[in-house]
Order: sequence, then structure tokens, then C-alpha cells
Amino acid sequence: MRRAVRAALALAAVGGGGCDAGPERGTEDGVAPPVVRAEPVVGTVMPAAGAAAEFVLADTHGRPYDFLEETRGSVAMLFFGFTNCPDVCPVHLANLAAVLDQLPSRISRQVTVVFVTVDPERDTPERVREWLDGFDRDFVGLIGDAERVHDIQLGLGLPPAVVRRDGEGAVDVGHASHVMVFSRERDRRWVYPFGTRQSDWARDIPRLVEGVPTATAEES
Amino acid sequence: MRWWCSAQSIAWDWTWRPYIGVWILVALMAAGYVWLSRAETDARTDATNGRGWLFWLGLFLFWAALDWPLGALGGGYLASAHMLQFLLVGLVAPVLLELGLPASAFARLAGRPAALRVVRFLTNPLMALIIFNSVLVITHHPRIIDAWMPTQLGSFGIDALWFFAGLVFWWPVVCPVPERPRFPDLARMGYLFGNTIIAGFLALILVFADLPVYGVYELAPPTGWLTSREDQQIAGILMKVGGALILWTAMSVIFFRWYRRENPEPDVTSAGPPPSHAGARG
Repeated sequence: MRRAVRAALALAAVGGGGCDAGPERGTEDGVAPPVVRAEPVVGTVMPAAGAAAEFVLADTHGRPYDFLEETRGSVAMLFFGFTNCPDVCPVHLANLAAVLDQLPSRISRQVTVVFVTVDPERDTPERVREWLDGFDRDFVGLIGDAERVHDIQLGLGLPPAVVRRDGEGAVDVGHASHVMVFSRERDRRWVYPFGTRQSDWARDIPRLVEGVPTATAEES
Repeated sequence: MRWWCSAQSIAWDWTWRPYIGVWILVALMAAGYVWLSRAETDARTDATNGRGWLFWLGLFLFWAALDWPLGALGGGYLASAHMLQFLLVGLVAPVLLELGLPASAFARLAGRPAALRVVRFLTNPLMALIIFNSVLVITHHPRIIDAWMPTQLGSFGIDALWFFAGLVFWWPVVCPVPERPRFPDLARMGYLFGNTIIAGFLALILVFADLPVYGVYELAPPTGWLTSREDQQIAGILMKVGGALILWTAMSVIFFRWYRRENPEPDVTSAGPPPSHAGARG
């Protein structure tokens, strides 16, 4: 329901002319400007990440992975989670994998999904690789020390994950459930909450890849 | 303890958790059956014409469909389990319960004209067809599933609608009220076939949809057995094949009974030897 309301608001914003130069709006010389229609997306627009997105962590092969450099030219989807997560993480990744599998390759090959573990103590590179391969072998897994990952999340405006261990070995992990999406030019980014459906991704990813101007309810 | 299964955003595990509402309902149905059967026994008549076991089988399947683990899985983890629940609660259990109830249960209706009128209205074949298929479409609509399944009351509502629609649907076929003329056999077969059509369309949507239809199952904590698309496809296959199997089985039973009635076997015990035998070696 909330998504429907947001979509309706976004549509209303678009229809209301907030982001739309409609064809009926002529210019003084009588030539109509090109129509640039902002498409509603589920994700919420956030300010550009700037230097916060400049980080380097180790990938699952132990090589340094410069996030900005390696994902240059593609839409990057960044997600912080852990492999023992019973709900949010596998659902997000399974949905992304399913949709990317169905989209035309000219779209899907311009998307890079990057998973950063917030539980490096248990998530070894091998464990992360094996887990990600269960969804999509092209998904990138990154591992860094907990403090560094904490700082990256803070810098990106995400609540940092909290990992609690009790005396009996039980581990409780709380983490942001958002997928952060960076435009190809890195000038825009969006956060997609848990609850984003495959149908949402299937509609939004081509728009994000093709650089279609987007609007969200928050912008209206 | 929860009283009815519903979608919960907690990871699936095999910890047993009963649903108290299901147990109470099943206990009430069992108690009602025992009470009706005892009334018949006092009259020294065969309460169910030897078909009482059908009631107990139906009640067992009703309970198995709604209690843990199938109830929990269908309530919030797997669309395929939800579809299996529909087949059991909406199609299998109702016919077994109706077939297994003692005749006195239905005979009591004859003494209640107002109740009989309502039953006659609801179980008119055309009305039953409309009710069953309306419930089928409404309770499998994504917006209804996604809105109702997360709450116990909503989940109970869907199960109750299935069960009610199943009882109404089978009534013209089983026709347990002696006072009401039996629906003709060929018409009953046509009625059953007619009820496979809309379910078949719904099943095809589930099987061939590119994306998951139900958010509640797509976003459920994964069980690790199936992807959401595979789960949905199995749900569609269950609806198509499972539903058809149940209805075609019923059609086959009706057909062969009708055939036997129309083509009775000759009574060999009372007939003498054929004339050709008498003079064959003479």
C-alpha cells in the first residue's frame, strides 16, 4: 500500500509538471523543447556520495577492489549484509539475481552488484564467494575489517551494522536493509528498501542503466 | 502461541508450533460428528452407510493442511505449500466430510425450512459454480494474498472461504439431502468439468509469469529449497494437475457408476445354460 501511495505521489508529481516539460509548453519561437519525462522509481534519491564512495576493500580472491574504479561505467548496487542472514540478505540478492537473469544482456551487463560483509569474523572470503555463487557468479563480494566497513557505511549515510556476540557463541547482527544504487556517472544515487519486489527492479533497472531521469515521492 | 498460521518475517525452522485455533476447530468438528453418529446408533441404523471413515479422513486432511508444518509453510513461506493447502481445504476435505456425515445430519435440514431454503439457494449448481470460482479468483488475487496472509485473521478468512466454497461446490455432486432430487450424472460431470476452466487459467498465470506474483512469498525468509519463481511454478502445476486430478477422479467415478447403471450385467445365477449348449453334442 505504501509503495502504491508513493508511486501515485510520484506520478502526481510528474503529471503536475514538477519534473516534466510537457509538449504543450511551447517556447517563444514556437519550437517545443524536447520532452524529458521523469520516470518514477521505487528508490529514494540521496545526495551524491562524493568521497564516501571512494573505498578499497579486498574481494573474495584477496585482491584489492577499488569500488569507484571497478564499477566505473556501470550502475553499481551496493549492499551491506552477512552470509548467515536468514531473511533480508538472501531475499535481496535472490531478487536481484532473478531479475538480472531475465533482463536483456545489454542491460544486465551494465549492472554490478557488490556485497560487503558486515560480519568479517565469520564471513571468510571462501564463505562469501560460495554464498554469492548461489545467487550469481558475477556478484562481487568484499571483505574488510569491521572498523573500516563501519566507517564506509557511516560515510554513505547508512546506519552502521551492529554485531553482538554473547558468551555462548550466539551472534546477533543488525544491519541496514537497503540496497544503495549508484548511477553510472556517480552523480546520483538511490536507496532501495527491503520490500522492493522483482517487478520493481525489473522496471527500474533499465531506467537506471539508460539514465532516464527519475523521480521519487520524496522529490515531489 | 499463535491461533492460526500467517506470514511472519522470521526464518523458517523445524520447531513444532501448533495452532490452537485449528485444534479447537477440529475438536469441535469431531465432537459434532460423534454426537450425530451416537444419535444414529440409538436408532440402530447404519449412521453413514459404512462411509464414516471418509469423514475421519477428511477431518485428518483438514487438520494436516492447516496445522504445522504445512499450515506454517503455506502461511508465509511457500506459495506451493499454500496451493497444497487450497487443494486439501477447498477440494479434498469438503467432499470427504460430506460423504462421511451420517444421513441424519442432512435429514435434520428437512425440518428447518428456512435453513433448507438457504442451502438450496447456495447449492444450486449454477450458484455453487459462481461461488466456488469467485472464491477461487478472489483468494488467489495477489492483492488479497499480500494483504490478508500477514495477519492471523486474514489467513483464517482465506481458509474459511476455501472451506465454505468447497462445501458448496461439492454439494450438488454429492447431494446428501434425500429430499432434493439428484443432479443428473451427465450434468454433474459437466459441472465438474466447468469448474476446471478458471482454475486452469489461474494455474497458467502462475506457471508462466516471469516475475513472482505474490509479494508475501517473494519476500518471505527463504527456506533454501526453491527460488521464488520455482515455488510459484510448482504452485501453478499443483493447481492445474492436482485440481484436475481431483475433479477428473470424481468425474470418472460418476461416469462408471452411470455406465454400470445403464448397462447392467446379466444375472448368471438364475439363467439356465444357453440353448446352443443344450444341443451342441447331441
